Amino acid sequence: MKPDSAAACAGSAARPASTAETAEALRRSVARQFRRSLHIRTLDTGSCAACEQEIRLLAAPHYDLHRLGFFFTPAPRHADLLMVTGPMIRAFDIAARKTYEAMPGPKLVVATGACALGGVYQPDAFTHGGIGETLPVDVWIPGCPPSPLALLQGLLVAVDRLAEKVQDLTFIRSGGHR
Amino acid sequence: MTPLPLMYGAAAAWALAALAVLAGGASRPGIRAGCVMSGLGGAAALAGGVSSLLSGNSRVVTAGGSVVVGSLQLQATSLAGVFVALLGLVAVATAAFVPRYHEPGRATGLYLAVYNLALLASLAVLAAGGVVTFLVAWETMALLCYLLILRRPRRDDVAGGAFWFLALSETGFVLIVAAFVILAAKTHSMQLDVIAARAHLVPGAWRDTAYLLALTGFGFKAGLVPLHVWLPEAHPVAPADGSAFLSGLVVKLGVYGIALFAFRLLPAGPAWRGILTMAAGAATAAIGILYALNERDIKRFLAYSTIENIGIIVTAFGAAMTFWAYGQRLLWAFLLLAGLYHVANHGSYKTLLFLEAGVIEHATGTRDMDRLGGLAHRMPRASVITFAGTLGIAALPPLNGFVSEWLIFQGLFQGFRTGSHLVAILIVLAAATLGLTAGLAIYAFVRGYGIPFLGMPRTRRAAAASEAGQPVAGPALLAVACVALAVGAPVVLTALARAMRTVTGVALRPVLLPGNLTVIPAHTKFSGFSPTYLTVFLLAVLAVPGLIYLAGRPRADSLIVPVWDGGLVTFKPRMQYSAMTFSAPTRVTFDALYRPTVSVRRASDDPAGRSGPVHYESQATPVFERYLYRPVIRVFEWLADFIRPIQSGDVNLYLFYVFAAVLVAYLLGAL
Amino acid sequence: MALWFLRGLRRGVITTRYPARADDSATALPTPPAFRPEALTRELADRLCLVCPSWALTRNGDVLFFDAGACTACGRCREMAPEAVTTSGEFELAATNPAHLVKRIPLLGEGSS
Repeated sequence: MKPDSAAACAGSAARPASTAETAEALRRSVARQFRRSLHIRTLDTGSCAACEQEIRLLAAPHYDLHRLGFFFTPAPRHADLLMVTGPMIRAFDIAARKTYEAMPGPKLVVATGACALGGVYQPDAFTHGGIGETLPVDVWIPGCPPSPLALLQGLLVAVDRLAEKVQDLTFIRSGGHR
Repeated sequence: MTPLPLMYGAAAAWALAALAVLAGGASRPGIRAGCVMSGLGGAAALAGGVSSLLSGNSRVVTAGGSVVVGSLQLQATSLAGVFVALLGLVAVATAAFVPRYHEPGRATGLYLAVYNLALLASLAVLAAGGVVTFLVAWETMALLCYLLILRRPRRDDVAGGAFWFLALSETGFVLIVAAFVILAAKTHSMQLDVIAARAHLVPGAWRDTAYLLALTGFGFKAGLVPLHVWLPEAHPVAPADGSAFLSGLVVKLGVYGIALFAFRLLPAGPAWRGILTMAAGAATAAIGILYALNERDIKRFLAYSTIENIGIIVTAFGAAMTFWAYGQRLLWAFLLLAGLYHVANHGSYKTLLFLEAGVIEHATGTRDMDRLGGLAHRMPRASVITFAGTLGIAALPPLNGFVSEWLIFQGLFQGFRTGSHLVAILIVLAAATLGLTAGLAIYAFVRGYGIPFLGMPRTRRAAAASEAGQPVAGPALLAVACVALAVGAPVVLTALARAMRTVTGVALRPVLLPGNLTVIPAHTKFSGFSPTYLTVFLLAVLAVPGLIYLAGRPRADSLIVPVWDGGLVTFKPRMQYSAMTFSAPTRVTFDALYRPTVSVRRASDDPAGRSGPVHYESQATPVFERYLYRPVIRVFEWLADFIRPIQSGDVNLYLFYVFAAVLVAYLLGAL
Repeated sequence: MALWFLRGLRRGVITTRYPARADDSATALPTPPAFRPEALTRELADRLCLVCPSWALTRNGDVLFFDAGACTACGRCREMAPEAVTTSGEFELAATNPAHLVKRIPLLGEGSS
């Protein structure tokens, strides 16, 4: 649930801090609702299908997302979370929008893979270069493709079962210090 | 009331109606008056039919008397009771249908006069007590139906369809005459009652010959495969009420003829007769529905479906005869009852469907399923009524088709009671064929209802369809009849059991309806079900989701969003199933039967995708016309060519013929 | 009955125990780079920006901005300058805000002020 829409729900005439708190509380309640039962609908907006291969492995015995209470569903009407791969080619705009709108709220959107996050493709006549401007994204999962463990971590972050880790990473290695 | 006076009343009403429309057919009030008379006649016939079911065979009324043609002999029999009642129902429904369907005019007046006279002739066939009456009435009815089909003689295919009807009807008539002549000659009587009483005196070989002639002759009219080819040609080209009459009643007259010979005139027969009849019926049923699945024209589709149902009825009759041959009298009477019930049911829903096909044709200008679609929104009343008819003909509970087909199946499943392994297997094979037919029938009618009525309109004309001014009362009455025949099954079965008492001498009611609401197929420990309880149960089942919805309706406002269509940019009507693609699996599976010829023409030789328009045409081979009728026709053409020289036009040769004939007659007389 | 059998029934034999137990198998796969700021000069940073096929690296003044979201872990930056770029071994990179994925790497190498 994005902070702005949560703010719209919360109403007007409130101190900004309170609105953010309300938004956060709403977000947490939604995540708690999906904690152990989440139905995922994948959406390929023009990817090379490497992310799809990794997503498919999630249902395989080694990673087994069913043990976490996550399930794949093809029907957006039954889905709680939209897992989007690919750089959002412009020809797919309408279908992506329709899929998102066909999902009943509350719903989450997870952008998966470097293409969806803005890498690999720059915006041009054929592609948006990332899904950020078309769909409201809750969780971003980098990788090309992200390994199934990375996908699991992303999904668990989306439902508040794991804390986000990347904001504390620096990607700096200076002589022994991480 | 005794049946005969009611039938006289019906006949008089129809004769008056014919006169009324002849006189006043050019004006709407004239047509309306004629239809009112026709409807009254129908009501009288309905009452007469039901009355004759209940009161047994009446006396034979003889009128006139001539050495050459014999006398008019009428008798209201229980066996004909169902058919007379059906005739009445069809007459009432079409009488309600005609005023809004036909445009007033002289041609319409003529047509309706012919139609009422055809009703009269059919009643005469059913009420005939003697051979001559039967044959004269039969031929009159056939000729009048030929004229009915020729309502619009200048349209394509009308003349061809009418000709097929007449040609095969006459061929059948010859065989029927032969059958009757054999029996009349061997029993020295022209009265059907007397023939029935004396039939056991006729030598077995003659009896079997007469039966086979009758089966084939009446089979032409009933539509048994391969004698059915006139049905899909004639039904589509007749006007809607004409097609309804043809399919709803006229083919049943063929069934009546078969029943007459099988159960009244020649009931005692060897088992092979029954098995042959049953096999013919089962083959007819399967082939009928398979060809139905290949049709885009709604009326041709319904015509083949009629063939299928006739097959089911004849299978029931054949199995009944087989059971008699093995001493199973209960099952004999039971299957006859089930077959007659199916006659009534099929008459009601097939008439309904043909009338609605006429409504659709008027509203959209086409009979082609692939040009229709989405009619349920544009023609709501027609769609509800057609749905009732479709549920009936697809034999889905709780409607009437289900009840009669269940009865037939339950009778067939008891084939083991014959005691002969071979016969039991044959009966089971027939039941299996009927099972295949029933499954294909559901498939066919999902297609037959879904493609025109559901989904999106495939053409602009379908989108513009409107049922304003279209007839509703006639088909609605038939829909009510379908429901009544189902829910009132105990009543219908009681009446039919009473009739069976007269026809077969078997008291069925105690074993058929031991309680008042549960139906037992002749033997208690076999099975049973209650149509009434089933209807109540199904309504309750449907009510449960309704109640849950009402109780658990979401409190908050709900959003109304577009249907999830897979994310398509636009949904085009051409993306839907078409009638032919929906039935493609049967064409693939049964392609040995259809033997389709496929022609593909490309606009150019460029590879696919760039070759321009591609014309694909697939046509089922008309196997019966090509491999059976064409050779026979060619033989007759050859014969005609051979004989033609006799008619040389030379007067001298003709004088010689006269001389030769006199000489031969003199010699024959002298010897 | 052997406890391992029951345990296997409950949670599978080959199934990973992630997130209950850490699973390092993904660290062996290609992961985004980690940078040594001491080895990074402006020139090197510019060359690294050009070699990245995914526009994950941009230099602004004395800061190298690394977009971990855009990174495909292709390894070209490491191949060009192995003394300045090494692999991070991090795979748990999910972020709730794209800003969390953009990392600032100060350019502390000689030749930059």
